[in-house]
This record gives sequence, structure tokens and C-alpha cells, in this order.
Amino acid sequence: MRTRPGFRFLQYVAVCCYLVFLGFPLLWLISSSLKSPQEFASITPSILPKQLDFSNYTDALSEQGLVRGLTNSLQISIASTVLVLVVSLPVAYALARFRSRLRPITNGWILVSQVFPVILIVIPLFMILRPLHLTNTIPGVVIVYMVWSMPFALWMLQGYVAAVPRELEEAASVDGASRVRTIVSIVMPLLRPGLIATAMFTFISAWNEFFFALVLLQDPELKTLPLVLARFVGAEGQVQFGPLAAASVLATVPSLVFFAFLQRRLTSGLLSGAVKG
Amino acid sequence: MKKAVTALMAAGALVALAACGGGDSGSGDPAPGEKVTLKFQSLAFQKSTVAATKKIVADWNAAHPDIQVEYVQGSWDSVHDQLVTQFQGGTAPDIIHDESADITGFANQGYLADLSEYLSQETKDAVPQGVWDTVKTGDGKIVAAPTLLQSYVVFGNSAALKQAGISATGDSLSWDQLAADAKKLTANGKYGLGWGLKSPTATVLNLGMNFDAAFFEGSGRDAKAKIGDAELEVPKRIHAMAYTDKSIDPTSLTQSGSDVLPGFFGGKYSMVVAGNYTAQQMAEQAPKGFEWEVLPPLKGSTEAQAANPQTLSVPAEGKHIKQAAQFIDYFMQADNLAAVGQGDWLIPTTQAARDAIAKATGGKNGWEQTLASGTELTKAPFQSVENYPKWKDQIATPALQEFLANKIDLATLGQKLNDGWGQVNS
Repeated sequence: MRTRPGFRFLQYVAVCCYLVFLGFPLLWLISSSLKSPQEFASITPSILPKQLDFSNYTDALSEQGLVRGLTNSLQISIASTVLVLVVSLPVAYALARFRSRLRPITNGWILVSQVFPVILIVIPLFMILRPLHLTNTIPGVVIVYMVWSMPFALWMLQGYVAAVPRELEEAASVDGASRVRTIVSIVMPLLRPGLIATAMFTFISAWNEFFFALVLLQDPELKTLPLVLARFVGAEGQVQFGPLAAASVLATVPSLVFFAFLQRRLTSGLLSGAVKG
Repeated sequence: MKKAVTALMAAGALVALAACGGGDSGSGDPAPGEKVTLKFQSLAFQKSTVAATKKIVADWNAAHPDIQVEYVQGSWDSVHDQLVTQFQGGTAPDIIHDESADITGFANQGYLADLSEYLSQETKDAVPQGVWDTVKTGDGKIVAAPTLLQSYVVFGNSAALKQAGISATGDSLSWDQLAADAKKLTANGKYGLGWGLKSPTATVLNLGMNFDAAFFEGSGRDAKAKIGDAELEVPKRIHAMAYTDKSIDPTSLTQSGSDVLPGFFGGKYSMVVAGNYTAQQMAEQAPKGFEWEVLPPLKGSTEAQAANPQTLSVPAEGKHIKQAAQFIDYFMQADNLAAVGQGDWLIPTTQAARDAIAKATGGKNGWEQTLASGTELTKAPFQSVENYPKWKDQIATPALQEFLANKIDLATLGQKLNDGWGQVNS
């Protein structure tokens, strides 16, 4: 069936509107990062800077240790993501495939654990980590992020595992594959979109997290990106808008690259044609 | 594709291993005779203040090889939450930078050291008693050294004032005169005054002291709300300017102190009332050729305003209280305090430092009036009230916002402020 030209035109208009809606905040951020202090205080703000001012970038890079913060955030986010996936996958598989009394209890606990406010657990957590010498260390923060993200990651992965037809595993078993071999060779490739979605969620959680990092990291050399960005905000609502915008632009680059790399793989290789009808 | 995923996983695993290989950077307690290292978490924000603070630390370190101070940059936005946890875990910095309103709760809980015996007499004599009162507990302990103060001042567009024949001279500016000037400047779609009162409580309580407003009687948890004519005088006058005289831009009442600046620079209104530190943004952001000035301090029956100084304090569990206090003494020296005060456009708590700024700036850019406004800052009753922050956030701010939006009358505002105290302090 052919689409009517008028309808096709409306589709393009809708897509353009959606792109503008999504892209405008980023455009505004980039534009703001190139404006002078005088332009920020103008009563008639312009979408594009009247004169390009790169001093915000030099300020952002030289003043607050932005590069160090980027490196720390990247390290912590990737480490948390990898560890969450490594630990969650077998647990999610077990929860999805094996019937036991523990399953509803585990699932219930996963949901309940999401209800606790951060402020409630941060002091006990601090008291636990301190005797273990894990406060003010990157491994300490990685462990906290891992534990924090794991319930939701398990929840997500369980659903993806359940969506993989059991017949595929049975077929592999008939062919003589062990359970581990089946998971590695049959289930994991089919789970790739799910693993990538879970990785994205975990990465974003760690990348944007502020409060745990604030409390656990005191050494300036270990500060993560959100902590560095917070330094552009002063007392009484004073904000260094230009350097903050520049720092935010620089902060979005690694995550954009990460997503650009993973996003293509998110939609590929789903279950189409896996089982013949 | 398989290779790419494998490579990604391998890289991730390597990063994870590298991350987990990081060591604890915490330092242990030094043995006797060994060099003492103090962590100083500074909240300096402006570039010039950060530089001035780092210079103070560097000079100290050069002169005291056995007591080294390590500069750690903190942020105002998150200092309270950070300190709550650090005090609980015993990992607070050796020297804490904060403001007196924020440390009151910590002091009451015994987290801060009594510095009375450690601070020098010179430092004690340099700061007025009214300001010391803001960092004293009920039993007379000094839990911090007050460093810098802010006051509320009126900024004016020089050209507009001149055109309207308004002279900003004299020792003070009465509220009646402010209202008259604002009315005079209101014409042709332009307002006389812009006032960022998005968070109105601090402004109303601070400036309320112009009319001897107390808001509270007593201290701690036993404090009682006291809302009478004096306490309602400032909101009443602001409301009258906004809705009777129509000389305040009503939009500005919903904005923050910084948000009103574009309107001020753009000629939408000719005066703004804001914290004196706003001068930093004026100097940085004003369009070329725009001339601004600071008007004399506001005066009701007095020029008094509440003092909520920035402070330096030491944790009660600190291992080097004496050495930390020595550094605080050094920080309080006139030249040092003047340098950080000038950087942040804030008023030093000592007269010697104020004189140093007056000399360095020649009183220009509003410094003369700003420094003058700092002489009448003193402790306000609300600063001794334990549940004041709760009352401020849950009761006073929404009630004042409603009143300034012309949704409730003055009597209802008074009732809400009074009854609300009973709700949050029960």
C-alpha cells in the first residue's frame, strides 16, 4: 500500500518538530557556552551568540579540574557497567529460568529496594564503607553504584531472558551443548539488545550520580564530573553560566560517543527467524 | 561485530580492574614531631577569591613547614549534606568553611570545637560583639570565626537617577524615600524598582531588623513566634510599592536576585534591591557604557540588618584543633580577609580589613556604601532558633510568596507565619 503524498509530508513535519524539540536544549547549551557574560545579562536573549567567546571553555578546563573529573567519571561508569552486567546476567538467567520459592521473594526485594530514598541509606552506607577503607576511593564508589543499579538491571535482564524462546535452549541441549555453552553461544547473542539497554541504563545512572560521590569522595583528585559541575554554582543562587555551559557541553561528549557506539547495536539482531514456525 | 563487542568487554574489564586498583587516599594520624597536614575545604566561588584563598594557603605553608594546609575546593550548593555525613563518619575537613546559619545545627549537636581558648585575642578584638554572637552557642562557646558578611543594598542606574533628579547621597536611604524614588522613576512602561523575591524569607527577616522586627522570642526549641506590626512592616511596604504605587515590576517578585539583572541592564527598571555581592555580576555583566551605583544603606527606625557571616570552624573530633585555629587566626589577618572579601564583593568582619578594601578600591564601584552597610550588621533572633530552617522553607517562604503575589492579605500572612511556627516546632 502506497502512502499518500500529503500524509508523507505530515510525517516529515512531525519528525522535524520532534527533532527540534529534542535538539533545541543541546543547541541552547552549545550557544550559551559561546556567549559572553554581557550576553547572558541581555534582556533580549538570542538563540545564537552575537560574538563567539571561547573563554568559557578555557575557564571550564583550567579552573575546576574538568578533565580529571571526566576521567574519573568515565572510569567509574564503565567499571560499574561492566561489573553490573557480569553479575546480573547469571542471576537474571537463574531467576527467569528456574522455578523456586526464592523467585517471588527476590523479585519483591528488587522492587522494595528501589523505594528507599538515597538520604536514608547514605549514612549507614558511609559507616559500613569506612572501616573497610572504601570511602574516598574509586573502588568504593564503583561498589556502591553497582549495588545501586543492580536491582533494576536484574529486573530488566530478567524480562529479556524470559523473551528468549526455551525451544532454542532445548535444541542446543539436544545437540549436546552444556548449560554454560548454551548460555554463552545461544542466549547471550540473542540478549545483546537487552544487555546494551541495561548497560546504557547503568552507565547513565553512574555518569549522572551526584550524592553518593559527594559524600564518599573528598580527595579533589577523585571528584567525578557532577561534583566538578556543581562548583560552578555559588551561594545565593550565583551561577557562572558561561563556564557551566561549556563544562556541560564537554561533559556530554563522552556519553554521546558511548551511545553512538552502542545505539546501532541496540536494534540489531533481535529474535527474527530464530525459531522456525 | 563479535570482535568489537569482545574488544569493548575487554576494555571494560581492564578499566574495572584499573579502577579497583585505586588506593585509599586518606591519610593517617601523624606521629608526634611529624608534619601536620590540615585539610581546608574552601567554598570560595569567584575566580579572584579562589586565587586569594589559595595564595593565603601557599603563604601559610611557606611560613609553617611543620603545619601544612591542603586546599580542597567545596561548593555552597552541597556543603550541608556533605558535612552531615562527614560528621557522622568522623571524616570532616580540619577547617570547615560555611555560613553561620548552617553551622548552628551542627554546633548544637556538638560537632564543632570550642575555639575560645585557641583564637588569639587580636582576632577576638577585631570582630564586633554583635557578629561574634552569631557564632556562639547558648553556653558561650565560640564555634567558628566569622569572616565575611553580606548586606542588602539598593543598586541604581546612574543615568536614570540623574535624569529623574534623584541624588543618592547621605548616610542612609529611608524606606519612605526609596518608595518615593521608585514612584518617581516609574513612567513610560518602565518601573522604578525590580526586586528578586523568589525566596523572600531571608530578605524580609534581614531587612525587618530595620524596623526592630524580631519574629521570634527565646531560642532553641523553646522559641515562640512573635509576629506583630514591626515584623510585617517590610512585606507591607514591598506590597504597597508593587500594588498601590505600582512602582515595582511584579514579574521581578517571582525571580531570583540574579534573574532581575537583565531587566536592570535593559532599562526595564532603574533600581534593584539585592545582596551586595551582586556587584560582582554588575561589574562583569553590565553592558558597555552602563553606569551603576550603590545607594546608601536602607533605614527604617535603624539601619540594622541581620549578620549571617561566612565562617571557619573546626570539627570537635579534629586531631589538630590548635593548629587549625592558628591557621584561622592567620586567615583573619586584615590583608588576607580584605583579599577574599574584595574577590567576593563581601564585607569583612574586621574594621582593619574593611579599611584595607576602602584603601584598595578608593570606595569606587559602590564599595563605600557597601562597607558602610556592613557596620550595622548584628545577630538576629531567628539565628538562635533551631527549627528556623524548617519554618523558613515550609511556612514563611510560601506564605510570603502568596502575599507578594497579592493572593492573601497582611492579616492572613501574619496568621500563617504565626500558626505555622506551631506546626513545625511541635
